[in-house]
Amino acid sequence: MHFAGVDIGSTMTKVVLIDETDNLLSAIKGPTGPEHRQLANRVMAQALEQASLKIDDVDFIVATGYGRVNVPFADRQLTELSCHARGVFSLFPDARTVIDIGGQDAKCMKIDNGRLIDFVMNDKCAAGTGRFLEVTAAALGIRLEDMGEISMRATTQVQISSLCTVFAQQEVAALLSRGEAMENIIAGIHNALAIRIGALAQRLRIEPRVVVTGGGAKNTGMVQAMKNKLDCDVSVPEEPLITGALGAAVLAREVYSKTAGEHGKPSTGPRRLEQATFFSEERP
Amino acid sequence: MSWFMGIDLGSAYTKGVLLKDSEIVGSHVITSGADYRASADAVTIELTGRANLKLEDVLRIVATGSGADSVSFAGQKAGDIVCTARGIHSIFPKARTVIDVGSLSTRVIRVGAEGTVTNFAVSEKCAAGGGRFIEVIANILRVDLVDFGPLAARSKSPIEFGTGCAVFGESEAITRVSEGVPKEDIAAGVNRALASKVSSLVSKIRLEEPCAICGGGAHSATLIQTIEGELNVGLLIPTNPQLVTALGAAVTARTSATEETARGHT
Repeated sequence: MHFAGVDIGSTMTKVVLIDETDNLLSAIKGPTGPEHRQLANRVMAQALEQASLKIDDVDFIVATGYGRVNVPFADRQLTELSCHARGVFSLFPDARTVIDIGGQDAKCMKIDNGRLIDFVMNDKCAAGTGRFLEVTAAALGIRLEDMGEISMRATTQVQISSLCTVFAQQEVAALLSRGEAMENIIAGIHNALAIRIGALAQRLRIEPRVVVTGGGAKNTGMVQAMKNKLDCDVSVPEEPLITGALGAAVLAREVYSKTAGEHGKPSTGPRRLEQATFFSEERP
Repeated sequence: MSWFMGIDLGSAYTKGVLLKDSEIVGSHVITSGADYRASADAVTIELTGRANLKLEDVLRIVATGSGADSVSFAGQKAGDIVCTARGIHSIFPKARTVIDVGSLSTRVIRVGAEGTVTNFAVSEKCAAGGGRFIEVIANILRVDLVDFGPLAARSKSPIEFGTGCAVFGESEAITRVSEGVPKEDIAAGVNRALASKVSSLVSKIRLEEPCAICGGGAHSATLIQTIEGELNVGLLIPTNPQLVTALGAAVTARTSATEETARGHT
């Protein structure tokens, strides 16, 4: 049997396919699509291809993430919070705190045996999300994925005084033109974001093991800054972007087995591998 | 005859006003850019040059604004809230409240009969709380700042932004454009969002009429109308709204120099 989790984020779509014993068959990430955000079906098609499966071979599909509402090929929608919690639990069974640094939001979750106990979230202000890194990297003229490595050479941290991302963008450009070293500015950026996310996380009582996920976890400098700020060690999954999709796939398997046991095979959707649409409830 | 200068070094624009005794004889506005010192120098050179003065002919220079520390040649610094109040008082002596829509923040100041500050409320240093939000969205819509107001004025159904953050607002505007929402509805939505920020600041300090508006945001007649509608009051608008705080700094220069001279004579 085969199960799929589809995590449609604001910028990236992630798809994970597993079998009935949670073995990973494929994990693919690709852009959600910058404007129309309708490329999720292509990511799904790639994942199926990698696992040599057809969409009809998949017994149950769970969609999660920001764009989960209108996925024509999903059987069930679950919140990204439950999916993240479940995905992290599969990788780190002793995890108690999950900090997810996404492109459009940051979340901190307290979990116990894979179940969500409490959470705090910021999706109001870009300054406490991965977007802060994207915008400031662009202002410095470097690639987002190079930030971590460059910051490793920092000899000191430049203080970034602007909280607002728009003003920080201006500030880092000015710092660079004033001759501050690139690596020290980036270390300052990581520190500034770690302060914001740390403050969010500390509203829940942080307990080890702490796992950091999301795009922010791919940045080694950012992870180091989080360690310093939280004053504890943190774990990072090998592929920190797919925990939500993995959780969705595992939950797909659990929902399927539970329903299958009680009522026979659960009903599935029409399985059209078509574009997922955003905001269709507002503008048909 | 004495000369006084006020320099208001803001996050987006550097403004200078030159006074000959009580008369405004020159003013200049440039973008602040990354190098605040150079902007302060450029404004000063322009103002003194036009009046055929040397820097030392200016009896007192007062610097204000978020970059005031970069004006190394200023004899004195003054708070921008105090300067805005003094500036508006010298233009509209009866004004009891002034709304300053700047790039970095929006401020609502209660002004006493003598031009003193009696109370104030300031937005967080957040681009969504000031004129910068207009710049960010104008850039996305590919509209010049001067055309933004007239564009917004044509809107029949302004959008409502689902976020209080300029960066997320930028993404929202992009999505809306791609969905085919008319540009004017997005522009009008920005004005609405700013007007509602102003309204929440006003509610903290209670507005007393007459109320004036200044700052770069007051260049937009449409934004002013939106704020007037939100607050349900008519606003006094200076001819050069962006120069009010620099004028207040120049007035401060004159007042303190005169007071010191008077004290020296007694």
